[in-house]
Amino acid sequence: MIAYIEKVLAMLEVEVRRIMHDRTELYTRAVQPILWIGVFAPVMEKFRVVPIPNITYMEFITPGVLVQSITFVSIFYGLNVIWERDLGVLNKLLVAPVSRSALVIGKALSAGVRGIFQSLIIVLLAEILGVRIVINPIYLLLAALLIVVFCAAFAALSIFIASLLKTRERFMGIGQAITMPLFFASNAIYPINLMPNWLKAVATINPLSYAVEGLRALMITGDLTTVPLDFLVSFVFVAVTIVIASQTFKKIIE
Amino acid sequence: MSNNVISVRNLVKVYDKVTRALDGVSLDVEEGEIFGLLGPNGAGKTTLVRILTTQIPPTSGEAFILGKSIIEEAERVRELIGYVPQEISVMTDLTGYENMLFYSKLYGVPSSERKRRIENALSLVGLLDKANIVVKNYSGGMMRRLEIAQAIINYPKVLFLDEPTIGLDPSGRKAIWSYLSQLMEEHEMTIFMTTHYMDEADMVTDRLAIINLGKIVAVGTSSELKRSTKLESITIISKFHKEEVKNLLNSLPFVKQIYDGKEEGSVTAYVENAEEAVIEIISTLKENNVDVESLSMNKPTLDDVFLAYAGTKLEETTSALEARKVRRTMQRMR
Repeated sequence: MIAYIEKVLAMLEVEVRRIMHDRTELYTRAVQPILWIGVFAPVMEKFRVVPIPNITYMEFITPGVLVQSITFVSIFYGLNVIWERDLGVLNKLLVAPVSRSALVIGKALSAGVRGIFQSLIIVLLAEILGVRIVINPIYLLLAALLIVVFCAAFAALSIFIASLLKTRERFMGIGQAITMPLFFASNAIYPINLMPNWLKAVATINPLSYAVEGLRALMITGDLTTVPLDFLVSFVFVAVTIVIASQTFKKIIE
Repeated sequence: MSNNVISVRNLVKVYDKVTRALDGVSLDVEEGEIFGLLGPNGAGKTTLVRILTTQIPPTSGEAFILGKSIIEEAERVRELIGYVPQEISVMTDLTGYENMLFYSKLYGVPSSERKRRIENALSLVGLLDKANIVVKNYSGGMMRRLEIAQAIINYPKVLFLDEPTIGLDPSGRKAIWSYLSQLMEEHEMTIFMTTHYMDEADMVTDRLAIINLGKIVAVGTSSELKRSTKLESITIISKFHKEEVKNLLNSLPFVKQIYDGKEEGSVTAYVENAEEAVIEIISTLKENNVDVESLSMNKPTLDDVFLAYAGTKLEETTSALEARKVRRTMQRMR
């Protein structure tokens, strides 16, 4: 068990070292969220099209945009695994005495590590743009945990998809095709109660909504009523995706 | 069975229900030898290595590494082996040392021993002074050496090398060979390597197996194999009409096969005993007024061995595929 954890940690360490060597991707990936928060939100606010009590629209969409951004980061991990297969890196991992599930968990949590770094940049820039984040260490730690869990779940989902598609070409379009519909069919940029009923139903079973709701509570409103449910849904989501991805993982090299 | 480090029994691998990549392969590798698997691309070399290193299961048959089944005891097998894949598979965005550190942790090298083992392995392949440079700045040969260093971090009993010198220039290839022989002296290991370079198979390996279309067609030391072909050849260069020369040679009973040579107007005839054949060939050509410019006798090379056992020339089946693979490897090195 200790050996298992050490091997997962070794994979996370590699991810941190990668980020330390080259941070360009973190910065370029911050551009789009900043456009949402800095340009889209103020314009929408001016027209007052989305009525939200107590907080500004900019504050409202910050967690939503953050979740969209880390979804993109995580959905890339399946592609990353295919890429590593083509390079032979994956083959070498599979020949090492490491269980398949440790490899999947290692990859999934690596996405969580990157998600945390990405979130730090976005939150910092949002704060500069005028978003007031709740400064409570416990809330922020919980928010970080939720981000890691959510990223891990999406990365595992993406590894599962990669094990079905198997080639980079087929995978390429999938990132957008999954994340954009999930983003718009969630509470990321408008409250669920404004949605038509059919969309409301989709948003309710959309795991992205729960991540957004949890982060919004922990970072913006400080009202924790929904947080237990948000965590429950996210933990179930990650458990299911990791179990499935561990089953299908080795199909990628066959 | 006693001192066989690798034993393979009737291994079959079928891809997509139709492609028989391995078609009943059996072989034994003895302790401490460098065993080479020689064959063109697509012959099944990589498939065999991937099955023996527990990456993919065989369709049928079985194989054992130090008595452990690669199917039932895959986890145990993984602890005993080291593996260098065909592709340049180092993590180019990290330093050499960081690459080594990752694999030492993955292989469960105790933390107290890590630094020493990493430094030993890096100095063995001559990379200790480059340890803290990010790998994307390495040359192709250096990346290969780093991979070999990685593969020996757990002191494997058996080291699998899949085309270890593909895409390297002659001096890079020589360097890899000399590091490997040094490695064999310092660690007790058995090496199983695949290659499609004849000179490599000839010089580096103790014994080799020739594989073609998923079948092992011959096994032995390089000199045993050459002798066993009983094929020696005579090459004739003449300005005379080539087809006629071929017809004349064909009419001789001891001539087995005839091929066009590399040079303009040259014809190569395979015979059992070149010294005896040469006299008859010259007299036959003279009788028919064929003007011979030059004539040479050739002893068999591994290419001839391959031709004798597989029925095709190794180089012809290889070139196009290899060009593509080398290009891919080179792109990666940049």
